[in-house]
Amino acid sequence: MMLFLARRTAALVVAVLLASFVVFLIPYVTPGDPVRKIIRSRVAGDAIDDSAVQALSAQLGLQDPLWTQYLRWLGRFASGDMGLSYTSRTPVADQVLPALWVTLSLVVMTLAVAALIAVILGIAAALNEGRAADKAITAVSQAFIAMPEYWLAPMLVLVFALELSVLPSAGWEGPTSAVLPVAVLALRPASHFTSAVREGMLDALGAEHVTAARGRGLSYFHTVRKHVIPNGLLPLTTLAAVWFAGLLGGSVIIEVIFAIPGMGRLLFDGVLNSDIPLAQGAVVVVVGLAVLLTTAADLVHGLLNPQVRLRHA
Amino acid sequence: MRSSFPLSVSVGLVALLSLSACGFSGEAGKSSQAADLDQRIVVDNFRAPVADWALESDAAYILSLSGCLETLTRYDETQGKIVPSLATEWKQVSDLEWDFTLREGVKFQDGAALDAKAVVTSLQNVLDAEVPARAFSPKVVKAVKAIDDHTVRVTTPTESPLVPYRLASVNTGVLSPAAFKGDTVDPFGHCTGPFTPVSEKPKQSLTLDRNEDYWGGQVKLAGAEIRFITDGATRTAQVQTGEADVSLSIPVSGLAALESDSKVKVLKADSPRTATLYMNNGKAPFDDVEFRKAVRSALDLDALAASVYEGAAIPASGPFAPSEPWAIEGAQTPKQDVDAAKKLLASAGYTASRPLEIIAIVERAEFADVATVIQENLKAVGVPVKIQTKEYAAVEPDLLSGNYDMVLSQRNRLIDIADPIGFLTADYTCDGTYNLSHFCNAEYDKKIAQAATTADAEARYKLYAEAGQILQDQAVNVWLVNEQAIDAVRTDLQAHVQDPLARYVLRAETAKSGS
Repeated sequence: MMLFLARRTAALVVAVLLASFVVFLIPYVTPGDPVRKIIRSRVAGDAIDDSAVQALSAQLGLQDPLWTQYLRWLGRFASGDMGLSYTSRTPVADQVLPALWVTLSLVVMTLAVAALIAVILGIAAALNEGRAADKAITAVSQAFIAMPEYWLAPMLVLVFALELSVLPSAGWEGPTSAVLPVAVLALRPASHFTSAVREGMLDALGAEHVTAARGRGLSYFHTVRKHVIPNGLLPLTTLAAVWFAGLLGGSVIIEVIFAIPGMGRLLFDGVLNSDIPLAQGAVVVVVGLAVLLTTAADLVHGLLNPQVRLRHA
Repeated sequence: MRSSFPLSVSVGLVALLSLSACGFSGEAGKSSQAADLDQRIVVDNFRAPVADWALESDAAYILSLSGCLETLTRYDETQGKIVPSLATEWKQVSDLEWDFTLREGVKFQDGAALDAKAVVTSLQNVLDAEVPARAFSPKVVKAVKAIDDHTVRVTTPTESPLVPYRLASVNTGVLSPAAFKGDTVDPFGHCTGPFTPVSEKPKQSLTLDRNEDYWGGQVKLAGAEIRFITDGATRTAQVQTGEADVSLSIPVSGLAALESDSKVKVLKADSPRTATLYMNNGKAPFDDVEFRKAVRSALDLDALAASVYEGAAIPASGPFAPSEPWAIEGAQTPKQDVDAAKKLLASAGYTASRPLEIIAIVERAEFADVATVIQENLKAVGVPVKIQTKEYAAVEPDLLSGNYDMVLSQRNRLIDIADPIGFLTADYTCDGTYNLSHFCNAEYDKKIAQAATTADAEARYKLYAEAGQILQDQAVNVWLVNEQAIDAVRTDLQAHVQDPLARYVLRAETAKSGS
């Protein structure tokens, strides 16, 4: 177990360093002058004075070699300082932490809804394998994946905000404002979770210990509840952790459409405006959390599944 | 479930589209009910402050539109001139000096008196910014100092009649000295306007309450919330649902639905933006005026405005919109004339040796369609064109260095101040810092230089019109369509006046009738 944790800690450090370096390079490998992008994000319009470009470049130390700039950021970060945003000149941490809280709330609600849908549909499909209900659930589940978020979100706004006036069309003002974004974001993981639960359940239903339990005279309902469902839901833990990590930085479209001030939008703005410290801070937090979560999921999976525990040991 | 969920969505969509198509006819916009002083409203703005609340940045626009920030002078579009605001009068006391007399009895929302010292502190903060505002930078303003308690002197490096215009720029909004702490600017409770900001949700919204002691009279709303909604479709939806009372910058795609909604009024005004086909005058074949005129004759601007812009833009008659005080008198939209275009091409000795390239910048989604229309128009006269879609940042170095054929872009002529001098200088003079057309004409430069020192507005505007005529005669670019500022307001909103530049939205007289 200690070896496992040590490996994952090393992976965390490497992943964070790698991600922060890649983000650091983005403004330099994409077309255009990063300093002009920073200025353009602060002052509308295209006609920018060369003197302003040179002054800001010198002020931010952007004339230094790339490796010097990167090491400077790394040194500050190691001491817990994410630096100042190039565009707002306020501490990056002051922007990242509120955005992280918003996104965490959104992701937790999304995964809870997705898991709930998946448990109900996955179990129902598995218990009705090959029948009409199973086929219908599989088809609906596939339809969830096929509907792109940028299409589904406006459609739901049309129906529930404009036509029925039962939900707000955008914002992050309370539980009702979370309903539509969560509904849109939950469909895709719900589909994947449903398939995973269904497969897990079918595997568990065919397991020898289940057959043996039935042979010992346990009722079908009792067998399913005690021996099939707990094992059938195991894949959800790892899958949910992976989706958690993905959604942390991957809900940009939804955050823009629903005006949610989360991490996706922060990251998007950071990259768009060449705000390197902001983008780096956001990425490091997202990647760090992703590695931590997948590690935690593996640990939980190991605790629940003796075979996994044995393999790590 | 598989069929019912998508079906319900489809039914909702079809129902909505049907309503839009049928069109509820009712007259929108006029409420006969009395204003309710307890009402608060919501304004959907298209951008959030990027640079915290730094006055030299775009954040000043948000503070100004929300009725917090006020300037010494103000540009009144209906009168077409600079009018008093925090300053009651101003005069040029020497070639390089202007004195502004402050309005007496004005207090900041924190109780401090508005005096010359406070104004100097605020303006100096903008001058000292690491990225100064173009309207008020050390390049155009040498010094600001207090002459006495009520007089502020602004000194310029060269003679300039435009100082009162510069002090109408939102970037020169005045905050109380208490707003400046270290490197940060805190506008909360430190403005002079009819509304005082009380709370902020970063990237989300700004909440304001009525300023009970406003110098300009009774404020008719209890407060307001400015929401930062970047997605145009969301802004459109919010004014329809009533979640917002005002939605700024409505996309063309949302117009039909709003215009058929009896509870919403759509407001349109000429904006100082003209979608333009920039031609590289420094590179063959565009270095020949006959060729440039041929391109202009080949294009069907009426069809372009009607198709791509769905009627939400007006075919351009030159570099200025017809409603601008410096518009070229009698200017007409060039009509498509294929035969004339072919003759001009022959006269220019043009041979289609290579396809010409149009760059459509991706930041403006409609430019890809505009480029396609132009491609077809030019093909009809024998000019092959290929289209490149690229990010602006990616093409900027080539545009500035003259390594391109044509590019579609649009510029805000009044982005710095309520006068086009900055635009006409930067974009078209021989030494212009943003001369994408790589145009150079001594007569034009002379007109602009003369305008830059002409104090009388009428005379200056006449010079701008003459300079614009030179641009038109030389077919420097093809000015395609004048874009319109489109806002939408709920019909129970009262005394709302549209500002095409979205500088002034919440005003003391803005009101809402009781529900």
